[in-house]
Amino acid sequence: MTTFITVIQVLLGFGAGLLILRAWKGPDLVDRIVALDLVLLMLAGGLAAEAARTGSQFYIAAVIVVALIAFAGTILVARFVEWRDVP
Amino acid sequence: MSFVEVLGATVMGIGVALSLIAAWGLLSFPTALARMHAAGKPASLGLSLTGLGAGLAAESVSLTVLGAMLAFFMFLTAPISAHMLGRAAYQAGQAPNLHHDDLAGVTIPVDVAPQPGERSISGWHLIPLVIIWVVLWRDAGVGVWIGGLLAGLFVEVIRRTGRPNGTFSPGAMVVFLVRYSGMIVASNARVAWEVISPGNQIREAIVAVPLRTDSLRVALLVSNAITHTPGTLTVELTEDPLVVYVHLLHFKSVAAARDDVARLEELVCRALNEPVPV
Repeated sequence: MTTFITVIQVLLGFGAGLLILRAWKGPDLVDRIVALDLVLLMLAGGLAAEAARTGSQFYIAAVIVVALIAFAGTILVARFVEWRDVP
Repeated sequence: MSFVEVLGATVMGIGVALSLIAAWGLLSFPTALARMHAAGKPASLGLSLTGLGAGLAAESVSLTVLGAMLAFFMFLTAPISAHMLGRAAYQAGQAPNLHHDDLAGVTIPVDVAPQPGERSISGWHLIPLVIIWVVLWRDAGVGVWIGGLLAGLFVEVIRRTGRPNGTFSPGAMVVFLVRYSGMIVASNARVAWEVISPGNQIREAIVAVPLRTDSLRVALLVSNAITHTPGTLTVELTEDPLVVYVHLLHFKSVAAARDDVARLEELVCRALNEPVPV
């Protein structure tokens, strides 16, 4: 099980790498924020897997906080994009 | 290894596969709106499954509850961010190569003031809030319950604008959720296939679908449900008259797109005890 969880975390890390590539390329701010939102979701997934490995309760709060920050950040930037051309 | 562990590992595996497909789709799809189809749905479903699977694999009740909460949370927030980003992308001119565009030339007010309406404190909101509070504290002492009740009351009291709550019909809600889960699985598979198969059959379009109901609740649930099913994304919703603008990844015809939404609308109307339009 421990090996399996390590494999999962490596795969999630690989996915996050692909997403950072997209965030790098853009071309628009919208693309970047979608990519970074997903990077945070991957991080939350990796933390949930870590919780399964260690059985530690510490990660529970961390997963929820990361997912919340991803959502709040995305909403914030979406609002900004909508208003950025309004004088 | 026990059966629950194997089940958890399988669920986690599916979740990670979906997350990877979402990441790959984000990298390979041609336009911003198409990428949003790959991003929102498989990724949020993937994280939900990873969390649930992790709880099962650890055979831990509190972790499984966390997974379920995560799934519920993703279910609520994913359509909101997808809708806002989709709308922002369209307004930023990031939607080229549309085969059909009903949104062109339509002016949408940027912000609509919420309509004032009376709100009563409802147990349907309060009870889940209190339970989430207690689960987060991981301590079921009397003080924690009272704290949760106070925090929940506070949230309920400050939530003063909007329309009064209606009712819903449990049986029809179950029918809706089952049919809807089937649609989610089918369309996730379709987008996943689109991502991993070489070449693409992407034909993007934005179709305006007038809703036949006049209920805001139905419109809200329909537009969220549209966003949850990959391949369709709500980019705009107008009031008076209620019209949803749907972005499609695999556009066939305007009539086909409207039929799909009409079927969804009928299911939602039954679930929410609203008169079913004819």
